[in-house]
Amino acid sequence: MFELLFKYPLAVFSKGKFVLLSGWPVWLLILLIVLAAGGLFWNMRQRHGILSKTRSTIVWLAQTALIALLLLMLWHPAISVARLRPQENVVAVLVDHSRSMGIADDGKPRLQNAEDLLDNQLLPDLSKRFQVRLYEFGRDAVRIDLSNTGQVRGLAADDNATRIGDSLKHIASEAGTMPLGAIVVLSDGGDNTGGIDRETIEQLRQLRIPVHTIGFGPDHFAKDIEIVDVDSPARALAQSRVSARVAIRQHGFAGQKVKLMVRENDHPVAEQEILLKPDAEQSETIVFNAGPPGAHSFQIGVTPVAGEENAQNNSVVRLVNVTPKKMRILYMEGEPRWEYKFIRRALEDDPSIELVTILRTTQNKIYRQGTADAHELEAGFPTKAEELFKYDGLIIGSVEASYFSNEQQAIIRDFADRRGGGVLFLAGRFALSEGGYTKSPLAEMMPLRLTGEKNWSRDFATVSLTDAGRESVICRIEEERDQNIARWQKMPQVANYDVLGAPKPGAVVLMNVAEAGHRPTPLLATQNYGHGRVGIFATAGSWRWKMLQDHTDRTHSMFWSQLLRWLVTETPGPVLSSTPHQVLSDDTHVPLRVSVRDKDFQTVSGATVQTTISRPDGGSDTIELRPDPLEPGMYTGEYTADKPGTYVAETSARQDKTDLGRDALTFRREDGVAENFGAAQNRDLLEKLSSDTGGSYYTPSNARKLSGEVAVSEAGITAHDNLDIWDMPIVFLLVILIRGGEWLLRRKWGVV
Amino acid sequence: MRFRIAILAVLLCCGFSALLAFQARFKEYTGEEDNPTAVPGDAFEQTEWTFARLRYPSGRYAGYSGERGSWPTDFPKADRQFLQGVRRLTRIHTRSSEQVIDLINDPDEIFNWPWVYAVEVGHWDLTDAQCKLLREYLLRGGFLMVDDFHGTFEWDVFTQSMSRIFPDRTIVELPNADPIFHTVYDLDQRVQVPGLQYLYSGRLYEKDGTIPHWRAIYDDDGRVMVAMCFNQDDGDAWEHADNPQYEAKYTSQAYRLGINYIVYSMTH
Repeated sequence: MFELLFKYPLAVFSKGKFVLLSGWPVWLLILLIVLAAGGLFWNMRQRHGILSKTRSTIVWLAQTALIALLLLMLWHPAISVARLRPQENVVAVLVDHSRSMGIADDGKPRLQNAEDLLDNQLLPDLSKRFQVRLYEFGRDAVRIDLSNTGQVRGLAADDNATRIGDSLKHIASEAGTMPLGAIVVLSDGGDNTGGIDRETIEQLRQLRIPVHTIGFGPDHFAKDIEIVDVDSPARALAQSRVSARVAIRQHGFAGQKVKLMVRENDHPVAEQEILLKPDAEQSETIVFNAGPPGAHSFQIGVTPVAGEENAQNNSVVRLVNVTPKKMRILYMEGEPRWEYKFIRRALEDDPSIELVTILRTTQNKIYRQGTADAHELEAGFPTKAEELFKYDGLIIGSVEASYFSNEQQAIIRDFADRRGGGVLFLAGRFALSEGGYTKSPLAEMMPLRLTGEKNWSRDFATVSLTDAGRESVICRIEEERDQNIARWQKMPQVANYDVLGAPKPGAVVLMNVAEAGHRPTPLLATQNYGHGRVGIFATAGSWRWKMLQDHTDRTHSMFWSQLLRWLVTETPGPVLSSTPHQVLSDDTHVPLRVSVRDKDFQTVSGATVQTTISRPDGGSDTIELRPDPLEPGMYTGEYTADKPGTYVAETSARQDKTDLGRDALTFRREDGVAENFGAAQNRDLLEKLSSDTGGSYYTPSNARKLSGEVAVSEAGITAHDNLDIWDMPIVFLLVILIRGGEWLLRRKWGVV
Repeated sequence: MRFRIAILAVLLCCGFSALLAFQARFKEYTGEEDNPTAVPGDAFEQTEWTFARLRYPSGRYAGYSGERGSWPTDFPKADRQFLQGVRRLTRIHTRSSEQVIDLINDPDEIFNWPWVYAVEVGHWDLTDAQCKLLREYLLRGGFLMVDDFHGTFEWDVFTQSMSRIFPDRTIVELPNADPIFHTVYDLDQRVQVPGLQYLYSGRLYEKDGTIPHWRAIYDDDGRVMVAMCFNQDDGDAWEHADNPQYEAKYTSQAYRLGINYIVYSMTH
C-alpha cells in the first residue's frame, strides 16, 4: 500500500534526503507561497458576507494548500538516496540451522519454512540485482555453495548453539575483500550468548552494512514452562543453606500448581510447590543445603507438566563450590551478657565458623575465648588493618564507640569497604545510639539510620518477618517456606531491643520488632557496603529463643549460624578468581579474572599469577594471567574448554618470593542444552539488530518487500540517485482531494 | 454490639498475654527473710543480670530451719551485699536487689534467669517435677551454683535430689585449670571459706566436712552446668563482709569465686 501511494519503499524515505532539483532559489518558493496566500486572503475579504468567517477560512486554507503544493512540484522535489549498484554488490544471506530451527510450529520445521522462502522468492529476487552469498550459521557462519542447483535444500537443524553476533562478525570481516552491500538473517533469534555484543553492532555500523532480519517461529509457545534464569551463589560454606532465585516463564498454565525442585545427581535436595501466576514471568526462591565441601552441580527447575510443548527447558544446572575453609569471626563485646554466651554456644558445633571473642569483664580486663594461641588478641582489639583483616567477619556488641580509637574505627570501616568482610552490629546499652555511634564514622556503614535518641528497652517484644525476611536464608529455620513463616509466628519474644530509624537506600530489612500496641521497627537489616556487607541486629535478647524452648530445639543456633554464614560466605581471600559463567552451555570460551591483594588488601600490580586448570579427562593446563591495564590488581586470561565436563581452576599469586595467596574455581561445560532454551522466536532481538544497523525486520509473510528495500544501503558499491517524487500518486490524490473537497463543501454551503 | 464485644475480647487477650510475657519483677518475702535489710532504691530496675536465689522445698528435711525451709539462709543480706561487689568489680549490668526464683509456685520463671544460686542444698527435697524442670533448665543453658552444705549427711541429701536431676551424669572435682577459676580472677590457690560459726567455734569446717570441695556436673560439651561449693559457706562470707571480725581473706575469695562463677555462666 505504501509503495502504491508513494512510489518507493519506506526505506528510501527513511534513509534518503529531500532535495529540490529545479535550481531556483527556495526563498522564491516561500515568497510565492506567501504572496499567493496573501492574495487569496484579500480576495476572501472582498467577498465578505457570502460565507461565514469559519467557512471562509476553510476555503482559504484549502486554496492556499493547493497552490503551495503545485508551486512545490514546480521546484522539482526528489529524494537523494544511496543505492547499491545492480550486479556489482554482494548480499550475504545467513540461515540459522541451530536445533531450535528444527521445531515444527505449524507442522513444518522453521528451517524448512526458511528454505521455501529462499528458494521460491528471496533468492530469485535478490539474484536478479545482486550476487548472493548464502551461509548457514549456528556457532559460526559457513558458506553454502549454490553453484549446482541454485537452490537451498537439505539443510539440517543440527547445531547445538546459535551465536548471531559471532556469525555476523565473521561475515563483516569479509567485507574488506568483497563489496558487501547488506546482510539478510533468517533466524528465530534464539541466541545463546545473551544477546549481540556492542562491539559487533559498532563494527557493522562503521561499515554501514544494514542487517535485515526475517523472524521464524511464534513469539511464545501456547503451552510451555521455561526456566529463564537461576541466580544462585557460586560459593558456600559446608552444610550451608543457600537460596536460588528462579525466574520462570510460562504460557498456558496460569493457576496451576507445580513443583520447584533442586536435584543433585538425580536425588532431590529440596522441593516446594509453587502457583503459576497469570503473568508470563514470575520469580521464586528455593532454599537448599549446599552439602559437604567440594564442587556441587545442582539441577534447578520445575518438574515437567503434561501437555508442555517443550519439556527440555524446565531446568538448568548451577555450580556451587562448597569450601572446606573455616571462616574466622571476631566478636568484640563490651559487657558480660547472656546474648554473648548463647551466640558462642550457637556457633560451637558449626563446622564452618570459628568464633574468636573479646569480652570486657571489668573496666581494665578482657577475657578472650576461641583464640588460636595465648598471644592472639593479647593486647585487645586490633590496632592495625593487617591484624584485623586476618578475620573474615566482625561482630561489635555493647561497646561504646569511644572505646575504639579513630584509627580502629577507620580499620573497622575498611574491613567491610576494602577487605570485603562482614560487620554485624548488635544492640545494647553501650551500642548504636546509646554507645555514641551516631557521631562516629561507623554510623555511615550501618544499614539503618541511628536516631540519636536513647531507645534501648528491656521490655518484651515480638519479632516478625518482613517480605524479604520470608525469602531470606538467614531467617529460614524450617525447610519449607510456609512452615518457616508459621514457626516464626510462634517464636518466643525477645526481652530487649533498640528502636532504630529507617533503612538506608539499598538496605534490606528482614525482621521487625514491636511491643504490644507499638509500631514495628526494624530489628534485622543488612546491606552491602563497599566490597563487604554490614548488618544490624537490634536486640541482645535472642537468647530467650534458646532458654524458652525445649533443649533439643535448634532454632537459636540455626538462626545464628545462618546469620553469621551470610556475614562471611562472600568474604574474599587476598586472591579471588572468577568467570562470568560457571556453566558453559554449548560454549568453550572461558574468560578468567583474578583479583590480587596484599595483607592490607591493597591492590597488587606486579604479581605473577598462574592458573592450573584440571580437565575432565584428568589432564591439566597452566596459563599465566596478564595484568589488566584498566583495573589495578586485576589479572585476566582466557581458556578454551575443549571437552564437556567439570573443570577446576586453581590460581596462585606470588610477588617476588612472597606467596600472596591461592583460590580455586570450578566451571562446567555442558553440550546439547542451549538450544532447548529461548526456543520461541526472540523477535525483540531481531528487531533491535535491524534497527541498530539500519535494516528492517520482516516476517516470512511480508519478506517479499525485502528485495526492494535491500538495495537502499550505503555499504558496498553504491550510487546516489535522485528519485523524483513530483509524480507520486499521493500528490495527484492530494490535488484531487483538496480541490474536490472544496467543491463539495461549497455545494453543501450553497455557494457553488 | 457483637463487633464491640469482639474488639474488647481481643484487647483483653492482648493485654493478658502481654502481662504473661513479662519477666517477673522484684518481690519481697518479708516473713521468710533470714537477715532482713532495707529494700534498695533500684530494686525494680530492669537489668541484664541479678542475683537469682532459688526458693526450693525442704520437705522431709525442713526440721533444720522450720517451715520456711532452708532456701532463705543469709537472705537477703548476703544477696544484696554480694550484688554491691558484682556491680563495683565488673561491667555486668545488675540492680542491687535479688530475684527469688520460686520453684514451688512459679517454676517456669527460672527460664528467664540463666544463673541461679541455691543455698543449704543439704536440706533440699525436690519433687520429680522440679527435678525434671531443673534438668531441662540446665540442658537449655542454665547454670546452678549451690553452696553452704557440709559433711556426709548433707552431701547425701543433696545428691538424692541431684541424682534425680541427672541420673546419667557424674559429679566431678573441678580441676584448677578449669576456666571457671580464671574468667576474671585466677583462683588456683583457694582456701576453705567458713561460716560465721567459726568466729565462735574457731573451726573452719562444719560437721564432718573438713575438706573443702569445688565440684561440678559438666554438660556434653565440657561446660559446667552445676557448680558445688561443698564444705564451705560463701553465702556467709558475702553476708558478713561488713563484719570486722570476719576475716577479709575469706570474703575476698567468696566475692572472687562468685564473680568468676557468674562470668563463667555468661561466657560458656
